[in-house]
Amino acid sequence: MHPFTFSRTTDPATAIAAHAQDPYLAFIAGGTDLIGLMKDHAALPERLLDISGLPAMARIEALPDGGLRIGALARMSDVAADVEVRRRFPVIAESLLFAASGQLRNMASMGGNIMQRTRCTYFRDEDDLPCNKRRPGSGCAALYGLNRLHAIFGWSDDCVATNPSDVAVAFAALDANVIVQGPRGERSITFTEFHRLPGNTPERDNVLERGDLIISIEIPPRIEGRASYYLKLRDRQSYEFALVSAAAAVAMDGRRIRSARVAMGGVAHKPWRLTAAEAALPGVSLDDIEALKAAIATSFIDARPLAHNGFKVELGQRVALRALQVAGGRA
Amino acid sequence: MNTIGQPVSRVDGRLKVTGGARYTADIPIEGVVHAAIVHSTIANGRTVSIHTMAAENAPGVLAVFTHRNMPRMNPTPKPWSHLHPHGQSYLPLQDEQIHYAGQPIALVVAHTLDQAIYAGRLIKVNYEIHPAVVFGPHTTKEAVQPPRFLWPVASLVGDAEKGIATAAVKIEQTYTTADRHHNPMEPHATIAAWEPDGTLTLYDTTQHIFGTRELVSMVLGIPQEKINVIAQFLGGGFGCKGYVWPHTLLAALAAKVLNRPVQVQLTRAQLYSMVGHQPATVQTIALGATRDGKLTGIRHDSISPTAVFDNYIEYAALCPRSLWAAGEGIWTNHKIVHVNRNTPTALRAPHEAVGHFALESAMDELAYATGIDPVELRLLNDTEIDPDTGRPFSTRALRKCLTEGAARFGWNKRTPEPRSMREGRYLVGQGMAGAIYTHWRWPAKARVTVRADGSALVEAGTHDLGTGTYTVMQQVAADTLGLPLEKVTVRIGDTRLPKSHASIGSATLANAGASIMLAAKAIRDKAIQLAMTGRDALFADAARDDVIVSDGRLVFAKKNLDITYSELLARNDLSSLTGDGDYDPAAEGPKATFSFSAVFAEVHVDPEFGLVRLNRFVGAYDCGRIINPKTARSQAIGGITWGIGQALLEKSETDPAMGRFLNRNYSGYLVPTSADIPELDVLFVGDFDEEASPIGVKGLGELTSVSVAPAIANAVYHATGTRIRHLPIMVEDLL
Ligand SMILES: Cc1cc2nc3c(=O)[nH]c(=O)nc-3n(C[C@H](O)[C@H](O)[C@H](O)COP(=O)(O)OP(=O)(O)OC[C@H]3O[C@@H](n4cnc5c(N)ncnc54)[C@H](O)[C@@H]3O)c2cc1C
Ligand code: SF4
Repeated sequence: MHPFTFSRTTDPATAIAAHAQDPYLAFIAGGTDLIGLMKDHAALPERLLDISGLPAMARIEALPDGGLRIGALARMSDVAADVEVRRRFPVIAESLLFAASGQLRNMASMGGNIMQRTRCTYFRDEDDLPCNKRRPGSGCAALYGLNRLHAIFGWSDDCVATNPSDVAVAFAALDANVIVQGPRGERSITFTEFHRLPGNTPERDNVLERGDLIISIEIPPRIEGRASYYLKLRDRQSYEFALVSAAAAVAMDGRRIRSARVAMGGVAHKPWRLTAAEAALPGVSLDDIEALKAAIATSFIDARPLAHNGFKVELGQRVALRALQVAGGRA
Repeated sequence: MNTIGQPVSRVDGRLKVTGGARYTADIPIEGVVHAAIVHSTIANGRTVSIHTMAAENAPGVLAVFTHRNMPRMNPTPKPWSHLHPHGQSYLPLQDEQIHYAGQPIALVVAHTLDQAIYAGRLIKVNYEIHPAVVFGPHTTKEAVQPPRFLWPVASLVGDAEKGIATAAVKIEQTYTTADRHHNPMEPHATIAAWEPDGTLTLYDTTQHIFGTRELVSMVLGIPQEKINVIAQFLGGGFGCKGYVWPHTLLAALAAKVLNRPVQVQLTRAQLYSMVGHQPATVQTIALGATRDGKLTGIRHDSISPTAVFDNYIEYAALCPRSLWAAGEGIWTNHKIVHVNRNTPTALRAPHEAVGHFALESAMDELAYATGIDPVELRLLNDTEIDPDTGRPFSTRALRKCLTEGAARFGWNKRTPEPRSMREGRYLVGQGMAGAIYTHWRWPAKARVTVRADGSALVEAGTHDLGTGTYTVMQQVAADTLGLPLEKVTVRIGDTRLPKSHASIGSATLANAGASIMLAAKAIRDKAIQLAMTGRDALFADAARDDVIVSDGRLVFAKKNLDITYSELLARNDLSSLTGDGDYDPAAEGPKATFSFSAVFAEVHVDPEFGLVRLNRFVGAYDCGRIINPKTARSQAIGGITWGIGQALLEKSETDPAMGRFLNRNYSGYLVPTSADIPELDVLFVGDFDEEASPIGVKGLGELTSVSVAPAIANAVYHATGTRIRHLPIMVEDLL
């Protein structure tokens, strides 16, 4: 490992200032992603600032309006087990329970989760391989290399990686807000705008700037919240990232969909909202499989598979369909 | 009480779960310094320059070795083969050539491992890069016939081509398997410590302490008597600790140059390029059969990749030589392709687990082509004579495996039509396969000592890979001596103990176990002799066979007399009794000796998603007599799990341009988790096989991972009607 120093802080302002001034400083919360990246030399911070002692950031609050506020330091396991989270937004609890392992979820924070970096094998290799995300300008080995686990939407020639977070897919579907405090004060970022597409700066996963500290994630009340479901498909039964996943939330009029929210994981550099499908779904009966499929297909017209992930185009649509059916069944 | 046949729990279990068992890298050695290997990032070419200055000046660094300053090593014997304990013939840090990605190019020694790894990162290398040659469709065309490596490369009995050409029913298909890595929990490590008198002690993660000694002796040019190798606990081996790899040689030499103990530990990623792997195979099988399912001919050809400098053969086409009878004849052959990778090596169920996928998949295709039930088809083609050598089998309970396994599984409830069984949204598939496994007979020595207090010490230079060697050896010695288990202590894993063989090929219990039984027997006989003829001979009027040993005593039941070992020793003024066991079997006996199995899998397939989940599994095994049903079952469920990985998950992928293995960690290289493993049902149906071993056992550990993959692939066909002829079976294969 690259040598580094370690310190703790209990003051958000100090944390923000330190991070803003020092490009070689990194926040560390649970450390479950950052330490792995450091061992693989995919992250080389010289100073770690432990933020896990910051006050009041581990709370999970059920807001009176039906929404939720989840502190950035709340543990994945605590959020997954929270009664109000499970009642109001089952999709959040499920996406967490299908992620990582029990031990990791006990360590991992929600802020760290949405900040976790891609699992692209080239990016994470112990050696420095051509990877624009790791070393801008070095090329993208995955573009013509092995890319079964890579993107089918929104990629660029500079990077074809996917975002690995499960709960981010649920947050994207629910239009959650990321509450951030930075050197210039607090702001709220719509979840679908939090992560970026790679473009020609794939080294930037999201829109945060130096000095930005995630305080919480807020989920506004959603009529689709309760009838929501997270479906994760993976090569093995547990302890594995999604091949393709879908977060679906629906409001129903009888058997007909009144409104639907669908986002997918494992298909793009960010959680991928099926905007076109969401526009086509209202009015469709849950029993009309063909109409459901047709609505979903509208979001896959612009899929651009790579050499080894063509199957994700069909699989993605099937996963979205099943997620919608199960979510609808919960209404 | 007899402990053999009892489900005795592991003697070292408590030690392991409480951290009391010391694994190699955890052994504290006074004054030890740590070394990290720097490896090449290209697959083919040479290093033009290696800049080590920054590393040399880094905190804690004591030395940096490259080919320029590493002392020369003596080459190992040619032709290279696994008969020598050398994993690969290429020696590290001897020249500037690069033959594979991840090849050692420098060794950094520092006070701590972290310092060494960090300094290694500071080394800058300029390469002359040549295109990487990788294994694939374009290179399989260049496959060549290799020299013999273990068994004959090709075999022909009878006229296989005629049997196929004239057959009423013919199957001819190509099956492929993936590159796989062993991934033991414990990464490889060596600690090398030289004594002032020139003795070298190596603490080494090895399944073959005497092999390490032999090879290090050759390469360093020092006599074997000057080398001790110690390996008392291993965190898994699966074959990648069966031979000597570069890190052990580097540790020994660096310690010599620096004149202080050096510890080398591989990183997880380095396990993917420094300690072998199982090579991918492309296998073509042709089966000819009569309409009523009698095989008339088998042809099995296999191609696998190897390093540019070694002729490793994955003997995938070994299994059809002796598994089924084929009227007209059997032809098998192997070819290899030299590519830029390190030398492959044995990986749990080498040769067989790979080859059976092709053979037993083809047998399933034949079952469908002839309309004969897959179990019935195998019963029809069972044989009492080894087709390869014409010898009878010593024991072959394959019929019992097939019939008892089928009964336990409930095979008769299966409807053969593909897609005919369902449960909710899942397609249900049931598949099976048979298997044969080579049994090895190797020389082994052991010593047993009974001490004045009536306890016994067993000493043998064998190994416990985590398999339960300590426990079963204790049982063998205790029963032979008539001692309670807790009176017997077992010492293994040290070359100062009597010489034993490599713990590979599932051969440890049969051979090392035999030597321990013989040593214990020698003591028992001496003790009985003493009781009959020694001082104040208590059993003076006994005939030899009148005396039995039990519960720490020699018993002359007819006269109602008995004496404990300690009383006997005291009476004869002896402080101990020692017996030597020298088991020296001929490599081949008059009979053909193999282990056998029949395994049965049920899968659930979600047809929408192409997801295959194993729902239940039954394995019926003939591995001779079972010494300990508990450790045997543990081996079996571990082996089945290993096979499930082969069937559904494991694949070391090579980047086509860079020619390097990717996913070099547990996160990217998927092995099964508990959630992937259903209830596994294990039956042992074998009998005492005295040709296999004087203690009646045949190999078990590897057998249990054989044919899991074809049973699952056959079940997938039954569930879906889609025949998958490659491993692993992935979601996209079934969409
Ligand atoms: C083996 C393995 C399997 C996994 N499987 C899954 C899976 O299936 N699904 C899934 O979703 N995840 C999975 N994960 C990822 C896991 O969920 C993340 O590692 C974890 O959520 C990160 O949280 P942390 O608190 O440990 O973050 P850390 O490692 O401490 O930090 C990660 C990053 O976030 C930054 N950061 C942390 N908190 C803040 C904050 N408040 N403001 C600004 N920046 C911050 C850090 O600076 C760092 O860059 C897996 C991880 C492992 C190791
Ligand atoms: S896909 Fe992105 S992360 Fe992966 S190698 Fe290319 S640039 Fe790097």
